Amino acid sequence: MSSKSLELDTQLIERIVQKRKERLARAEEEAERIVKTAEQEVGMIKADTERQVLSLVGSELRAVRDRIVGRTELDGRKMLMASRHQMLSSVFEEAEKQLEKIAQGKDPSVDYGVILGKLIVEAAVAMGGEEFIVAANERDHAFIKKNLRKLNNQLKKVLGEGTLKLDNSPLDIMGGVVVQNSEGTKTFYNTLDGRLENVKSRIQAEVGKILGVI
Amino acid sequence: MGMESVLSIGERLQKLLEKAEKEAKAKLAEAQKRAEDMVSEAKAESERRRSVVQRGTGIDELIQEAEERARKEAEKKMEEYEARAEALKKIPKGKMEEAVVFVLKEVLPE
Repeated sequence: MSSKSLELDTQLIERIVQKRKERLARAEEEAERIVKTAEQEVGMIKADTERQVLSLVGSELRAVRDRIVGRTELDGRKMLMASRHQMLSSVFEEAEKQLEKIAQGKDPSVDYGVILGKLIVEAAVAMGGEEFIVAANERDHAFIKKNLRKLNNQLKKVLGEGTLKLDNSPLDIMGGVVVQNSEGTKTFYNTLDGRLENVKSRIQAEVGKILGVI
Repeated sequence: MGMESVLSIGERLQKLLEKAEKEAKAKLAEAQKRAEDMVSEAKAESERRRSVVQRGTGIDELIQEAEERARKEAEKKMEEYEARAEALKKIPKGKMEEAVVFVLKEVLPE
């Protein structure tokens, strides 16, 4: 066989193989189009049937769906609420741990003595009067006792008058104070525990926003 | 000899093309049949459902079907809720810390 003839053979084979490939690809494409069109038609038939069926017994079928799917929706929403609540609780639990650290003077970034002074003054200002009896836990009691003069001066600066006295019965609290007027007619609970409880419901939405769960 | 060879290859290639044509036609016929079957099945099912409803009989069957569909929809919805509930628990550490700092600021006096 001459090289020219061989070349002709090769060209012919390549052309035919290409033709065959193209023909099969066209057929494949066309077959896909046919099936896709049928699927669309099936979809339309189903939708049309559903519409007709619904117009005849729609209310009963809707009630069935609403009962089953509605219950799931309710359970699902409860689940989401539980997750949100769990996350909010873990934030408040962590905040409580940090408050304990602060109250124990274990957080070097916070001067708990200053906080305690502010809590006492805040309570006295809120109640008004001249003499106040301050109760605290054992640790804070010792601190207040040691710094009583300084705290009294602080109070006078704000109120213009006023004297602090210490209640010697220690309270079982994380930190902060319970302040009474001398007559015992008014009591101001300014404990860390109480303040944390108070803010919990007030700032839940804002905490949720920060977490991105609301 | 060269010419004979070309003719012989030509014949074989022609057969190859004919075979490809047959394959293509078979593929199209198969697709056409599948499409017709799909549509006729859907039409038959549609007709069955319509006649059941129109006769006023077999409502229980329809309700059962609706229950089945609703159950499937409910399962899917529950999976979505479960995924959302799980996603809610994956809060970045930074956000948690920011929230704790915010709480402390609110609790402690200014």
